[in-house]
Amino acid sequence: MNKLWIAAVSALALLNGCASVPQGSIPVVDSGVPVSNNERISAQRTAGNYPQAAAAPRATQARTITEDSGVVVMIPGGGATVSTPISTQPFTPGPITLGPAAAPISTGSYTPGNTYSAPSPITPSGIPSNSSGGGLAADEQLDGPVLALLTTAQQQQSSGDLNGASSSLERAQRVAPREPQVLYRLAQVRMAQGDAAQAEQFARRGLTFASGRPDLQASLWGLIAQAREKQGDAAGAALARQKAKVSL
Amino acid sequence: MTRTRSPRSRSKRPSGGLRPWLGWAIKLSLVGLVVLAGFAVYLDAIVQEKFSGKRWTIPAKVYARPLELFVGQKLSKNDFLTELDALGYRRESVANGPGAASVNGNTVDLNTRGFQFYEGAEQAQPVRVRFSGDYVAELSSTNGSKLPVVRLEPLLIGGMYPKNLEDRILINIDQAPPFLLETLVTVEDRDFYHHFGVSPKSIARAMWVNTSAGQMRQGGSTLTQQLVKNFYLTNERSLSRKLTEAMMALLLELHYDKREILEAYLNEVFVGQDGQRAVHGFGLASQFFFSQPLAELKLHQVALLVGMVKGPSAYNPRRYPERALVRRNLVLDLLEQQGVATPEQVAAAKKMPLGVTKRGSLADSSFPGFLDLVKRQLREDYRDEDLTEEGLRIFTSFDPILQMKSEAALGETFKRLAGRKGSDEVEAAMVVTNPETGEVQALIGSRAPGYAGFNRALDAVRPIGSLIKPAVYLTALERPSQYTLTSWLSDEPLSIKGADGQVWKPQNYDRRSHGTVFLYQSMMNSYNLGTVRLGQEVGVPNVLKTLARLGVEREFPAFPSMLLGAGALSPMEVATMYQTLANGGFNTPMRGIRSVLTAEGEPLKRYPFQIQQRFDPGSIFLIQNAMQHVMREGTGRSVYNVLPKSLALAGKTGTSNDSRDSWFAGFSQDLLAVVWLGRDDNGKTPFTGATGALQVWTSFMKKADPLPLDMPQPDNIVQAWIDPHTGQGSDAGCPGAVQMPYIRGSEPPAGASCGGQEPATGDAVMDWVKGWLN
Repeated sequence: MNKLWIAAVSALALLNGCASVPQGSIPVVDSGVPVSNNERISAQRTAGNYPQAAAAPRATQARTITEDSGVVVMIPGGGATVSTPISTQPFTPGPITLGPAAAPISTGSYTPGNTYSAPSPITPSGIPSNSSGGGLAADEQLDGPVLALLTTAQQQQSSGDLNGASSSLERAQRVAPREPQVLYRLAQVRMAQGDAAQAEQFARRGLTFASGRPDLQASLWGLIAQAREKQGDAAGAALARQKAKVSL
Repeated sequence: MTRTRSPRSRSKRPSGGLRPWLGWAIKLSLVGLVVLAGFAVYLDAIVQEKFSGKRWTIPAKVYARPLELFVGQKLSKNDFLTELDALGYRRESVANGPGAASVNGNTVDLNTRGFQFYEGAEQAQPVRVRFSGDYVAELSSTNGSKLPVVRLEPLLIGGMYPKNLEDRILINIDQAPPFLLETLVTVEDRDFYHHFGVSPKSIARAMWVNTSAGQMRQGGSTLTQQLVKNFYLTNERSLSRKLTEAMMALLLELHYDKREILEAYLNEVFVGQDGQRAVHGFGLASQFFFSQPLAELKLHQVALLVGMVKGPSAYNPRRYPERALVRRNLVLDLLEQQGVATPEQVAAAKKMPLGVTKRGSLADSSFPGFLDLVKRQLREDYRDEDLTEEGLRIFTSFDPILQMKSEAALGETFKRLAGRKGSDEVEAAMVVTNPETGEVQALIGSRAPGYAGFNRALDAVRPIGSLIKPAVYLTALERPSQYTLTSWLSDEPLSIKGADGQVWKPQNYDRRSHGTVFLYQSMMNSYNLGTVRLGQEVGVPNVLKTLARLGVEREFPAFPSMLLGAGALSPMEVATMYQTLANGGFNTPMRGIRSVLTAEGEPLKRYPFQIQQRFDPGSIFLIQNAMQHVMREGTGRSVYNVLPKSLALAGKTGTSNDSRDSWFAGFSQDLLAVVWLGRDDNGKTPFTGATGALQVWTSFMKKADPLPLDMPQPDNIVQAWIDPHTGQGSDAGCPGAVQMPYIRGSEPPAGASCGGQEPATGDAVMDWVKGWLN
């Protein structure tokens, strides 16, 4: 027993000398980074997938939303104030009536959650109900979550993180599935990703919810025109451009 | 020379061989030393190789959708609390620290835990949620500032387990909760911080205990030896294994410091068995037993987990709660004795219940049906090794609350219908999606919840019966110059001669004909004769084309019987088809996965939302209108015995020949559900679509409380006043006049205003108007 000890210890002493792994240098966590919650937050998105994202620090991205997209309306306010909800619309839960002409069969006499007293200035779907004026007046009524997510998406897009922007916009779309501005932005990002076909589809979907909002319709048709051009459909693009003019 | 020689020769003589023995011994031990050194080098290589490399393979983890919170969101407080419970939030009087929640009337204060998502990190933060009715009325930080949107961490719903079925959640030693390390060392290896891997003292003690007891009572293993044993060696009990273990323990201690060894131990230790899955490490054990992250565990939970190390199956708190409680309290006593915890802390901890999650609760349920869907989608992009070893994090659209509701709806409905002869043999499948996003939210593949076998939602391909009919009518309604909702359709008997000379005589379910009816009436009452006639007019191949445009990829022969749903589809395929109808004519491939992150939290892959417009919104608006008639006054009308009339819904019943398949597919604004009931052996069931599947569907919708269907009216749709008897144009002022939607230009010419005309009564069109206004 004793000899074994001596042998082992001396062998170890020897080995330790030539061991290539210096003490304490073993990474605490290997490929299986903990999935437990506290840890998750610390996981960094590395530059590997998003070189541009890494190159452009977040802080510099908080710029006016409308600035670099070249698009007319979308998010009002710009700059540092973008994340504050501006709407003063009363909160109406439940079904959202779109535009002036409501389908008589589907809406009917429905009165939403009668126990609910409207404490908040936000429409859940983000679809403004008075859209007669068109233009900014309607667009300014984007509500808190949608506005916040569009802002995030905008920051991600300007830092080159198109996948992140896409993902944030899809999150916004889940929150407000019928908000045409979200669909418009999705279309824009798909376009930036080089997917003109999907860009056109999202713009078309946006149009089905943009009734009574000529500015937005014009922007959507404009985007459709671009997307069609990119797909080699010159005639279709011309037609869309025509529509864009009519909308305005 | 001589001097040295003589003693040797001298010594040889008297003792008769002591000297040579010693010499041999020295030589031998030198040889032994070399051999041992060689062995040590070998062992050292093993020790280092495994410890410095990837220590464990980690199965991919699958997460449910994160619950999003924002003002105006439709979410009941009860559902919210169910989710919090499943996520292991502690209920406290004042929410204190991550993972704590306090409920105060309609207000819930909680401290979220934070999480790494595809789009970036969600920070842990204190949040106040106020509910009003079934809506979130206020969302703020506890300091009062408003928050636009907050995400909870997603529920872990499963993993992709490899063959050896070892599962773990890796943790950092810094994540160990208070008391864990001290308790572990106190209970398992008191000399841990002072020995070099083996502890002669504890071996001696163990030997003393064992010899005096006459049996193996106590092991002298240090934590390091236990780790070595589990990590590198088999379970064999022999002296040579024991020696190897000791050497490896020494080697390990030589290379790595105590914290690293302890951290590896925390992740390696076996704490329980979950079916075929072995639960390793305290990280997973914490989730498995308490549904909480390890860092949040309190003293009584720590004591339970550490106590279980001695015998994971003997002290399984779910199977042997009393035994586990005794063991836990023994550990607590020991902590008090050793001064690790104060008597007050120990007394308080002893008062606590075991606190393991209840069976059947959301936290302790499995969702094999949905996971199967996820696996199939992942296998298209990843190799099995990637899924079972790389620790990928899979983010899905699974909604655990909707899943629990659909399972409850199915169970309750079967219970209610148990009196029907033969209902016991009836199996079930269900698919729940969000029509606005094309995401699968819940899935049931078997009547028995949690059964991981034949997934009927994906694999039971059965004749869809009348579920086909919207495709027939949509084909017609796409030709507004020929067909409107109020076109006349003959529901008189007909016979069709097939190519083989066979004559087919379809019949209505009630075996009667209904004369001449409006097109929408034929649809809502699911008249077979009218439908076949219409289908023949527009052409079976065109109906099949419509079916394909709706998203059905299966090919069917253009037989007339296809018009009544002889073609077979899986519930998932039906969901795809109806999704296009529900989503304004935009088709989207059904998705169950949103994104995949690497183990480090880096974005790896996204499954983007994709849509494609397949139909003009106008014709979809019309078919949705007809499908709402189905619910208001047609075959689906029983739904309003249970649901409020204000809830606009659209859907269609389906029953195959001899009631072998009972189908219902329908949707609200934000929820689409397909239910199938039938027997695996394709035998007859006691259910039609309306008496079986629709009942499950209704029960589910009642629980899910969806938003009423409200498709925005497309620009090419006009509403016209018509006379409900004749379908002719009428005037808003005319008694009994009703509004119907038409594609612009296909509406009947406006009728003259009528003065004192007698009000029409007893008419179907008027009945439904009255019906839903009431």
